[in-house]
Amino acid sequence: MVTPYGIKFAVHIVTSHFGNLVAKVCENLLKRGPLTLQQLVRFTELTSVQVKNSLLILIQHNCVQAFSAEQPDDIVNGQIQTQYLALFDNILHRLRFPKFLEMVSQELDKDCEQLLEGLLQHGRLTQEQMYERAKSFKSGVQNDARESFQKLVTARFIEQCPAPEPFVAEPSPDETPAKKRGAKSAKVVEVRKTLEQCVLEAAAPMEALRFSIMTNLEAENDTEMSKDSSPIMHAGEKRKSDTLELDGEFASDNKEVTLWRANFEEFIRCLRHKACVENVRARLDDGAAIVLRALLKATRAAENKVKMENSASLSLNSIFEEVMKSEAGRSMTLDRVRASLVQLGCPSSMAIDELYSVDLKNNIELARNDEVESIVLKRHGKDAYRMFRLLSKAGRLLETDKISDMTLVEKKDTPKILYKLWQDDYLYMEKVTVTVPRQLNFLLWKVNKTILYERVLDEMYHAALNLSLRTAYEMDQQKEVLAVPLAKRTGPLEKQCERIKKVKIYLESSLMKLDDAIMLFHDF
Amino acid sequence: MSRLQGPLALKRKRPDSNSPSESLTEQERILYDVIRSKQDMGIWTRDMKRETNLPDNVVNKSLKSLQAKKLIKEVVNIQNKGRKHYMAAEFEPSKEISGGAWYVEGSLDTEFIDLLKDQCAKIIYKQRVATVEGILDVIRRTGIFKVEFSTQQIEEILRALVLDNVVMDVKSNGMGEFDSIPVGKVCYICTNKGVRGEPKAGAMASIPCGVCPRINLCTPDGIISPTTCVYYNKWLDF
Repeated sequence: MVTPYGIKFAVHIVTSHFGNLVAKVCENLLKRGPLTLQQLVRFTELTSVQVKNSLLILIQHNCVQAFSAEQPDDIVNGQIQTQYLALFDNILHRLRFPKFLEMVSQELDKDCEQLLEGLLQHGRLTQEQMYERAKSFKSGVQNDARESFQKLVTARFIEQCPAPEPFVAEPSPDETPAKKRGAKSAKVVEVRKTLEQCVLEAAAPMEALRFSIMTNLEAENDTEMSKDSSPIMHAGEKRKSDTLELDGEFASDNKEVTLWRANFEEFIRCLRHKACVENVRARLDDGAAIVLRALLKATRAAENKVKMENSASLSLNSIFEEVMKSEAGRSMTLDRVRASLVQLGCPSSMAIDELYSVDLKNNIELARNDEVESIVLKRHGKDAYRMFRLLSKAGRLLETDKISDMTLVEKKDTPKILYKLWQDDYLYMEKVTVTVPRQLNFLLWKVNKTILYERVLDEMYHAALNLSLRTAYEMDQQKEVLAVPLAKRTGPLEKQCERIKKVKIYLESSLMKLDDAIMLFHDF
Repeated sequence: MSRLQGPLALKRKRPDSNSPSESLTEQERILYDVIRSKQDMGIWTRDMKRETNLPDNVVNKSLKSLQAKKLIKEVVNIQNKGRKHYMAAEFEPSKEISGGAWYVEGSLDTEFIDLLKDQCAKIIYKQRVATVEGILDVIRRTGIFKVEFSTQQIEEILRALVLDNVVMDVKSNGMGEFDSIPVGKVCYICTNKGVRGEPKAGAMASIPCGVCPRINLCTPDGIISPTTCVYYNKWLDF
């Protein structure tokens, strides 16, 4: 789901990170879909060099993926052109870098975090470049960095970069109509999504290669053998030539250099697991949360996509073993673990080996409901909250009077509240007229989650954009105050400084929390 | 169902089935039979006139005399409070007319409902796990309420509490806290929010934009914008 405000927010992120020119190119790609270089030059009205440089930056930071495909217009000439596709998700992930770093420092260690930080700052790096950077921070031996690197790869937090320009066959016309269902707006998104998926699939290295360091070591040896005098400088140049194949201008002469980047998919998977665990903790208890965390941790590698409906299955013994590894889990008995699994909705008696798998989709769904319901409660009050929950649980059309009876709300107030919810797009309404025995109008109401979630998500992007704009505005307003050296900040000036500090923390932490909710609706 | 019983059903009624009605005039009898045929649904005066084909003044006169004889009564119709509804005296207004047990004089007794809801929630909180029967039993024993409740009424209150997200309905698995309750029986437990606590506000609901009624009109450079927003000013006023 890429919504209008989603694009605006993404453009805002790109603007604040890379400036206006890059943002202009990115905006065109986000709004119009994949474009060729010529098209981009035409639409942005920038010079070819400016566009090229912007693309280089975007590719370097994994925000754009190039691919070649036969253009439908040029099919006669059989020309194959390079097109550029903006990766909306990756742009938004830029907001989550602090979360990714935090996760690595918790799961691995500080050194790994530092290594990853470099990678996030630069988008893509070779192994040597990462080591070089690590050395400049810490006088430690290179072996430490190598070890950290290996840890990151084993945990799948970093991966080899995808192919710079995969060839993608145009989806055949028979394929698309099958997916064209539902609302018109959804149609457009759906079709483009599939293209994005095609491109990403085509570009991704083979699973075996993606996290393998072996190939890289060979390449490294090659480099060291031939040019051991200045491998870093050279690697940097090669990095450019490898990724930035634009119209063959920089002919790629050296393919063996492997570039690494952060594996966003793994980070999002971890964040999803974390959200599920926290959700269970709030809904059930600590025990259930510990068990779910252990189960998800042990089966993480078995997940092949982020939006898994159910966790992978694990035997009771393995779950117990994993539970024992955490400090909080050590006090749990086998019976307690089994009881927690029942709490988590696992059928209690299974086959002989007692395999358990937890429904994650439902867990996420409940969290989404909570989020939407809390908005309804704040905006429309307690009665509306009850009605919305009733309709959301029922999942089918209910008549006004019935709703009034079930929620214990005054009959004449009910239509008013429902109407307000409908006006705000939280409900779907259907009018039914009965003419026998006399004309009667009935209003039926329902929650349409697909449409509602898209709307809520768009509003969240809007709110996120507002939060960051307000942060920028506040900072801009207080520029002069903040420019005053610390020692001279006295009296009212000090107060102002205190206020701005508070405002900043408030706004930024709200944005981070809101981002969790955005991920809940978009990524999980 | 009774709504559909028209003149046809009426014909099958034996006119001598009720003794006080013997002293009625012809018109009064016709009118009374129509009203009585509607049972606990009652009938609107205009519908009466249409069904009996009697002139207005006759209907009005007959209604008065029937009321005086205590054969019919006027009732409030929750659907349409402005319309005069009559019903034979032996019937109690149906749920459709009165609005159900929670309505008094045609309006919802919210105070009473809130009180009862509060009590139910407290009972569940104390007992940790409670069934409808258990709750009803406690209410009866403590005698907080002078009126008698039916199981259905308590169920309705509990359903509202579930929708309020104060309690949760779960099926007993017969283990642990549920050991005194048969397996599969629906019972109620408190949600983690406790008895009175508001549900935790979500990320969106805790910032101004989440509750902003004007978010659709808000644009970065518009008249309503995040930099000029009054809600933000209030929110960030430290």
